[in-house]
Amino acid sequence: MTKTSDDMVKNYRMVPEDFVKHLFSTFVIVTIVVLVASILFSVPEKQPLTIKGYATSNPVAFEQVALRALDGQGQIANYGPPYNHGTGNVESVMQKAVGILHPINAEQDFILNPLKMAASINPAISPALKQFESASPAQQALWETRYTAALNKGQYKNGAVVVPKGNYGPLPTLMNATLSLGKSGLMSGALIRNSSVITRFDNQNYLLFLQGQPLQNDPATQSMAGGNWGIIHPAINGYPGAWWMTIPTWIYQWPAVANSPASDAWALGIGFFFWLALALMPWIPGLNKLPRYLGVHRLIWREFYRSHANDAATAVAPGQSHAS
Amino acid sequence: MANWTLTSKRMAGQVLSADTWLPSEMPEYAQGFMYMLGSLTASSFVALIISGIILAANGPDTWSYNGAMRFVAATHFWSVQAFFFFMMLHLWRVFFTGAWRGGRGMTWLLGAISFLIAIPTAFTGFLINGDLYSEWNAVQAKDGLNALGLGWVNLTNAGQMFGMHVVVLPLTLTLLIAAHITRVRIKSVVPPYPDVKSQSPEGATKS
Repeated sequence: MTKTSDDMVKNYRMVPEDFVKHLFSTFVIVTIVVLVASILFSVPEKQPLTIKGYATSNPVAFEQVALRALDGQGQIANYGPPYNHGTGNVESVMQKAVGILHPINAEQDFILNPLKMAASINPAISPALKQFESASPAQQALWETRYTAALNKGQYKNGAVVVPKGNYGPLPTLMNATLSLGKSGLMSGALIRNSSVITRFDNQNYLLFLQGQPLQNDPATQSMAGGNWGIIHPAINGYPGAWWMTIPTWIYQWPAVANSPASDAWALGIGFFFWLALALMPWIPGLNKLPRYLGVHRLIWREFYRSHANDAATAVAPGQSHAS
Repeated sequence: MANWTLTSKRMAGQVLSADTWLPSEMPEYAQGFMYMLGSLTASSFVALIISGIILAANGPDTWSYNGAMRFVAATHFWSVQAFFFFMMLHLWRVFFTGAWRGGRGMTWLLGAISFLIAIPTAFTGFLINGDLYSEWNAVQAKDGLNALGLGWVNLTNAGQMFGMHVVVLPLTLTLLIAAHITRVRIKSVVPPYPDVKSQSPEGATKS
């Protein structure tokens, strides 16, 4: 591994160095920069979108999201692995191969189970729940189709969503009960739960309930959307984001990638190859000689080259110290 | 590697030597700001570890109701910005100087792997912060991981992300950076390309 070759100078001098002072200096520089930036700019923290906030400000849209979770048309309800057997978001064989790691039944987990908990506080929900659960799947689907259409004309009046008259079965009661649960702030507790443990580390269902229309259509997230160079943008303008993700974010903008149904797999896959080229550069013929021809090293070692051009005739032995 | 013990002894002697870690002289070409960038990156990492320990000791959401912890969160945020900023400058410097020459390919590779691991290390930190940026990026980035068959990494599980950010990834990164720096210290920094223009004799020297 200690092979030397003709692409390195050999007759350089060693000069005195206080390495501890060097390390101390860089740490002091970083500390000062960080403290000054923290005092001047604090930290960018944007209020998250909560279920309570979304239900309160967008009651009709909230019921549409809840209904899509109930009828299996929602993005998570029909996502596929690692959540369920859906097909809506399956991008690769690798995704299929891992199977169901974090099982989600959106109908039960997002809507019916929270409603059962709500029914213990508000018994008026129970008859509607029983009616829905005892109906045939065809009957449920019919109600859901009708109520989906009706919600397009839904209006929020006196704390509930009102739709044109029709036969929607128990759905208006159930969806308005879900809306009330959402507005109360209690839905987070109903979604973030694992009856086997008392800790609440896993907030998956809370985030996945909001991941579609609520977050996608939120004006605050538009600058962070994939088509707008996504993650490299911060939530608050003027602050730096994760700009070190510029290359994969750039790949997301390629039309062929952006328009692919497997855009995430392509962008990250191609991004990995970019990194691989960087990591293996020392062993890639041609690329490993590139810096010499780019010539930037002449600027970096300007002083070294100048001094050696001057005293070329008095070159010292390789690695020899000039300290005397 | 005939005798593993003797080889280990020789390597340990080199790695644990004060001469390796506390050099009192440096090559004349390794001077100036360009040769501070690696140390500035490492210093930023130390600042990240210190601020991160304070955050971890208090809890990842304390910034939201405690002014002092908000300030610590700010130092952690700006430290990560400094870390990537200096790392990028360092990367450009080592690229333009062909720093893999002279048997230093492994040093380069360890640096490249450190860069790769630093990305999810920072990302998981953003995810456990709990603000809109956390929320948005957890649900956006999950599709990419799921597509690559990495669905076991559940970005929407704050508990898993906390473990990843506070233990798994920083520990991995620390080991990688330590190995990278160890190799830099043992192999020293790469000597300049021979300068053909200066007509100095070393440009034509072959060993």
